[in-house]
Amino acid sequence: MKVSFFETVRYRAPQALPSEWPVPSGAYDRDAGAEAYRGMIERLEYVEELGFDWVSVSEHHYSPRILSPAPMLSAAFIAARLKKITIALLGPIVPQSNPVRVAEELAMLDTLAQGRLVVGLLRGTTNEYLTYDLNPAEARERTDEGMELILKAWTEPQPFGWQGRHFQYRTVSIWPRPLQQPHPPTYALGTSREAGEFAARHHLGYGVSYGPFEVMAKATRYYREQCARYGWEPAPEQIVYRANMVLAETDDEAHATLRAQPNQAPFAMRAGVRDAFMKLDARNIAGEARAPIVSGALPTTFVGSPDTIVEQVRRCRDVVGAGVIDLSLHPPGSAELEPLMRSLELFGKKVLPRIRGM
Amino acid sequence: MFSDGYVEADGFRIRYLEAGDGAPLVHLHGAGGPRLTPAHDLLSRHFRVVLFEMPGFGQSPENLRTTSMPELASTMAQAIGNLGLDTFNLMGTSFGGKTALWLALQAPERVRALVLEAPAAIRQEGAASPAGSPEEIALRLYAHPERLGAILLPDAATRAKTQPLVQRLRGPDRDADLEGRLSGLATPTLVLFGTLDRVIAPAMGRIYKETMPNCHLVFVYDAAHAISTDRPEAFADVVADFLDRHEAFVISRTPTVIHP
Repeated sequence: MKVSFFETVRYRAPQALPSEWPVPSGAYDRDAGAEAYRGMIERLEYVEELGFDWVSVSEHHYSPRILSPAPMLSAAFIAARLKKITIALLGPIVPQSNPVRVAEELAMLDTLAQGRLVVGLLRGTTNEYLTYDLNPAEARERTDEGMELILKAWTEPQPFGWQGRHFQYRTVSIWPRPLQQPHPPTYALGTSREAGEFAARHHLGYGVSYGPFEVMAKATRYYREQCARYGWEPAPEQIVYRANMVLAETDDEAHATLRAQPNQAPFAMRAGVRDAFMKLDARNIAGEARAPIVSGALPTTFVGSPDTIVEQVRRCRDVVGAGVIDLSLHPPGSAELEPLMRSLELFGKKVLPRIRGM
Repeated sequence: MFSDGYVEADGFRIRYLEAGDGAPLVHLHGAGGPRLTPAHDLLSRHFRVVLFEMPGFGQSPENLRTTSMPELASTMAQAIGNLGLDTFNLMGTSFGGKTALWLALQAPERVRALVLEAPAAIRQEGAASPAGSPEEIALRLYAHPERLGAILLPDAATRAKTQPLVQRLRGPDRDADLEGRLSGLATPTLVLFGTLDRVIAPAMGRIYKETMPNCHLVFVYDAAHAISTDRPEAFADVVADFLDRHEAFVISRTPTVIHP
């Protein structure tokens, strides 16, 4: 089992902030921001020392919860400051990006990081559609087409034009190309049938997040079936499962901590917007319709003492088929750093050595 | 609306379908024979589109005479000339892409620009023509056959008639004689491949680009071998722009102003 630390850039707001997304930009505190990025590097040096395989970063906008609107910058900064750990960029929100630019930046990043890069490509959470005026009805198609174009830009040696549905280029010929060939290990992220099919067709890895093992297993099973249909079998580390973990010395303590966490949507939107998204944003798990995540906290699927967690990781491997777990060890957006550092240490010393050989 | 006519060439009576005004655009069809697609209608708004039925294909009698692709190209060059077209744009689809290349090599001064739709002139090793039931053939040719209304494939009798001709003329997967000549063909050329082509590997496209001095490669997203049927608007748009501006078609003219 490979283990990834999901770095969410802890912004410690000096005063209480409104919870509604988007959070007013004027409430941002510059010193707190500077401290968040300083702290990120200190924390990641420790993560590297503990022996994590990857550190993952993601793209989120207009909120202090995960202070990383430009994950390429986060990844490049981390790559420059840490020497061994693999940087997992999970990932650029494809439907609202220029795919050629994404291909260029990731190729540059892979080269800057001396090949220590893995990439996840995804459609993004529902709230992000508001960031750059993305029509939810087009998000799926733009994601599929954008991912295909990114792969083509990485691998096609001759200048080419792209006559797409949503993207059009008359000449594409990127420099640098990725250091890793044919391209960095790449994952299609998301539970949808479309993501699973795309990953299988292009021999990519696949990543799911947060849901209970049995539910996520529907998506990974579909992915593996599709891989078989395309005549190949994914390696264990080609399935990533991102999850929340609440780890404590004892099960009771861990459950008490989980109960004390606020049941709040990660990016809470105004009721009228949330309800409209419920109608406009169609999502699925391996083809089975599911509601977009616009209310309520994300589930926590790893909770307990080190012994309990080790067993849960084993179940995750068996049920979901994951060979990489990408962990959020403390609720993103929480201003408390102490509990995060305590779980990190406990995980690194009492869990990591026992799941490494799984 | 396309209307048909006949022209004599090389002892063959050759049928053609024609529509539109403007610069002539001659189209040589694939191994399945001539078939009008929405792309022909779109292109006929800008060009005088002439779709030929090459001898032995479609409704024409069996062709036991033509022995090679260069010979077929020469017949077609005569047919085009006998229609009064001295210079013209030339488009070839799949099998017809190879015919078009030979025609351009034989008469480069007559061809203003060349469009090759999923050309079959350079094929991956062991490339096989679509075969089997109409459904199986459709699955090889089209990205989303289920989205098409009626799938118009040649009937069994027509296929039986044309198959020996196609086998005789298609040549090896890698035709050293043809490829050796391509570096000398300066005609502005647009090569199009669908990202889902299951007949000719889209990666073959780069060989034209590497070899021909004035070649442009465009991938049509979510199209299979029959690009002009799968994505007629996308196909016609880039073809018309290329024929209009040749290599300057790389300069965007797409407006992005939302409100003045």
